[in-house]
Amino acid sequence: MTDPYPDYDVLDKRDTPSWNDKTREVVDQRMSLTESSHALDAAQLATLRRLVSRLTPQPEQRAPANTVAIVLQKIDANASDGYRLAGMPQVRECWCKGLDAIREEAIKRHGLPFADLDDETADALLRTIENGETSPEVWTDFSSKQFWTWRILPDVVSAHWSHPSLWSAMGFGGPASPRGYVRLDANRRDGWEAREETDG
Amino acid sequence: MAEASDSVRCAGGRAPDVFSTEGWVPMNEYGEDEVDFVIVGTGAGGAPLAAKLAEAGFSVIAMDAGPFWRPLSDFASDEMHQSKLYWTDERIVDGENPIHMGANNSGRSVGGSTVHFAMVSLRFRPEHFKTRTKLGYGVDWPIDWQEMWDYYREVEQELHISGPVRYPWGPKRPRYPLRPHPLNAAAHHLVRGAEGLGIDWTETPLATLSAPVGKAHPCVYRGFCVTGCSTNAKQSALVTWIPRALKAGAEIRDLAMVGKIECNARGRASGVHYHRNGEWHFQKARNVVVAGYAVETPRLLLNSANGDHPEGLANSSGLLGKNLMVQLNQAAWGQAEEEIRSYKAPPSLAITEHWNYCDEGKDYFGGWTYMSQGPLPTKWATSLAGGRKLWGRPLLEEMERANHSVGLKMVGEVLPHEDNRVTLSDETDQHGLRIPRITFSLRDNEKAMIRHALDFMQSSLEASGARDIWKETDDTCHLGGTARMGDDPATSVVNADCRSWDIPNLWVCDGSVFPTVGGVNPSLTIQAIACRTADRIVEMGRKGEL
Amino acid sequence: MEHSNVTVASSRLMAAGAAILGTSVFADSGLEHYRGSFRNPGMVLPIATSAIAVPLNMRRSMGSAARPGLGRAVDLVASIVGMAGFGFHLRNIGREPGGFRLINLFYKAPLGAPGAMVLTGLLGRASRRLQLGRPSPFTAKAFGAITVAGLVGTVAEAGLLHFRGAFHNPAMWLPLAVPPLASLSFARDLALGQPTGATRMLLGATAGLGLVGSAFHAYGIARNMGGWRNWRQNILAGPPLPAPPSFTGLAIAALGVMLLLPKRRRHD
Repeated sequence: MTDPYPDYDVLDKRDTPSWNDKTREVVDQRMSLTESSHALDAAQLATLRRLVSRLTPQPEQRAPANTVAIVLQKIDANASDGYRLAGMPQVRECWCKGLDAIREEAIKRHGLPFADLDDETADALLRTIENGETSPEVWTDFSSKQFWTWRILPDVVSAHWSHPSLWSAMGFGGPASPRGYVRLDANRRDGWEAREETDG
Repeated sequence: MAEASDSVRCAGGRAPDVFSTEGWVPMNEYGEDEVDFVIVGTGAGGAPLAAKLAEAGFSVIAMDAGPFWRPLSDFASDEMHQSKLYWTDERIVDGENPIHMGANNSGRSVGGSTVHFAMVSLRFRPEHFKTRTKLGYGVDWPIDWQEMWDYYREVEQELHISGPVRYPWGPKRPRYPLRPHPLNAAAHHLVRGAEGLGIDWTETPLATLSAPVGKAHPCVYRGFCVTGCSTNAKQSALVTWIPRALKAGAEIRDLAMVGKIECNARGRASGVHYHRNGEWHFQKARNVVVAGYAVETPRLLLNSANGDHPEGLANSSGLLGKNLMVQLNQAAWGQAEEEIRSYKAPPSLAITEHWNYCDEGKDYFGGWTYMSQGPLPTKWATSLAGGRKLWGRPLLEEMERANHSVGLKMVGEVLPHEDNRVTLSDETDQHGLRIPRITFSLRDNEKAMIRHALDFMQSSLEASGARDIWKETDDTCHLGGTARMGDDPATSVVNADCRSWDIPNLWVCDGSVFPTVGGVNPSLTIQAIACRTADRIVEMGRKGEL
Repeated sequence: MEHSNVTVASSRLMAAGAAILGTSVFADSGLEHYRGSFRNPGMVLPIATSAIAVPLNMRRSMGSAARPGLGRAVDLVASIVGMAGFGFHLRNIGREPGGFRLINLFYKAPLGAPGAMVLTGLLGRASRRLQLGRPSPFTAKAFGAITVAGLVGTVAEAGLLHFRGAFHNPAMWLPLAVPPLASLSFARDLALGQPTGATRMLLGATAGLGLVGSAFHAYGIARNMGGWRNWRQNILAGPPLPAPPSFTGLAIAALGVMLLLPKRRRHD
């Protein structure tokens, strides 16, 4: 699918009344995050990078989102969402153990760490993890399905779509304060919203 | 300027002015002297009570574990950043349908979860106060709907609810203080669907301004409502009851986590232990009101167990923490030919309460409503990832169709069941307090309601011309029921006045007291109960019954 | 001779009223149709028409006559465009989800607004008629009826939209108080065929209120989030800046009609 909003970049509005100071501050800070971590070792980091690239691909012709860095910030801070499934450890520990298990599962099945698998094999393994059809002896603390449902998906997907490049790619209006919107009807948009490229 | 989440702002005789970017308003301070009321929690339950009790001349301190925000300067237009509004301390969830906490149902701010609620301000169907007697299920409230109708009115006035000129369901109600907001394209789908299916619809009564009031701006339709309103159009407790409470002489203590309620030798509550500025303090009080919502309220009462009350305070019935209810929040989604762009305007502008008021043809008990929707990007992406198992390129491509997505989401009644409950885990938090374990499973009744609702919402979307319809089968919202009110000390935790049966100067005032949750969002009812409780306390005080 | 001076003055005032009303139409339809993204090419018509009608009526108000054919054509087109606009607005509301429910009367194409375009044409024509010759006894009543109808319609529109705003500012009651009183008083004068000072005062107040109204609306825009800095939103989302002077235009036209009524003689 080609980008439906090729001439739209939500960051163009950064200095308009659509963004307030606080928004500029937090989005700037997020976009400047780098892939450094004191919580993960090199192998875990490599696994996470590969996982993120398969799970949340970058939109074409957009500045790539620093999704790994955003996920790392959450892992390093051990930042809870306010709930976790009984039996699962807290965020940081859960990620460390889960990433180790993914790596091990890959080695067990394919003789290679997850980070070194080709795209097709990596995706197939992720489907195995998603469906919980993994090796019980590798996944001792929690099941791969639990890890997938309660940690991987919410953490990685929400990190990815917290980046302005993804907002632009989906034609989302982006930050909107103090200026909101006037035209609310179907097929109507304000001058500061994305124009959708229609067929032809 | 320091983030409010890092440092106490209510001190030195002043509190933040929520209508400014960095201003202050004067605030009474009581020190550690004994006060008439300590209220634990400043949300929909605690805030109205603080305001009204202070206005009646009582000395009141209201504490909140969360920070005191100034929305105009503290709130970003950003989902991830604004998760600072949610209660994100560790909680364990289990059961067959573990509840997603945090964003869905728990706030941690002065103003509580009203700071990030969706502003939907509905009255219960009158029969839903007496479901056992009138409809044959659940349990009756000890309060009559006519009395509640007056308190609903009081809250609607305070929050300047914008709503339809004529409400299609239920007994006559007075006109809403403000007119309805314009409908967006997502709401138009609900309208066309309802008209196609031959049922009534209306503009949703919302706690966001359609005209300027005082220093608050009218809504600008920015669409970030559930991540905190940065314009003060949203009539959260933070910008309504709290300023009123401060003006009347109440003290607000922000970033004050209450860990234990102390009882004296006479079996009465004597005050609360709370953690603030890095250390534990004790606040003496003649009355303690717990208003922490349906998880933190039972948690605090359970954590306050002592020799006289080994199973927790106010728990002689054994019901404390039990009968936890959520509300069903399933949805049907589809794709529209036209651009919907549901990120604009409050998410739920149109509603039908048809299935709250019509019982015909149901194979289950209870009511439900559904509303138009407007999910923001990360919420939408995680819904697609979880609900449709999309990831990789398919997820990216589906997200690029988001401006054509349209959906309807239910708020459905869950019946009380003792096995759905809040207990204490052995794990402790940063303050050394045991964290809650929240156990929840859906029963057959809820499953039947979900089936009916999803099919009906699908029909509505089909009638309004949406295609590629899919059902999001797994979501919940709101809480209630863990300290239910009733007429009998053996089957309830508090009486109709929210006063605990066991300890006469201990009160519970929040959604925990709901015996049943009905099929509407609870915030208006919680505030109405709080207003009633305040009036009752004032009256009892006059009669010397406190 | 004196009578013809009065006729000229009346003609000029009516043209001035038409010019002010036309200016209000020009700016209001411009803004509102910009909000409506000009999705129908016909939405430029009231702007184009008023852009021609305003200078025409300004010239008339200064006593000069345009080319008669052009003037008649412009007045006629203005009335037709206004009527067509009413038809379009009516049809659009009928097609909205919810049809003629209050929510659509509040927020969709306003039913009353195109009436101002019709009135611009009618008042222009009336002014021209007075330029041409001596009015018949019936003329004053006919022209008066037009302005009264215009005032009543404008009051209805202000009432609807101020109700939408829940009368959050007590000043929002003013257009529901002053112009109706002026209309009533004026209608009585028309019926009795005698002008009164009270009517003149009330019409003057109505004319002033139109201008004060715009000032209030400017304040209302400033009260929206972001204030005038966020003008691209608030000029559309806030109260309509150019709408209130409709009252001014109509009241001035009505004052013009008043001149045609015979003066009351003392000790009659």
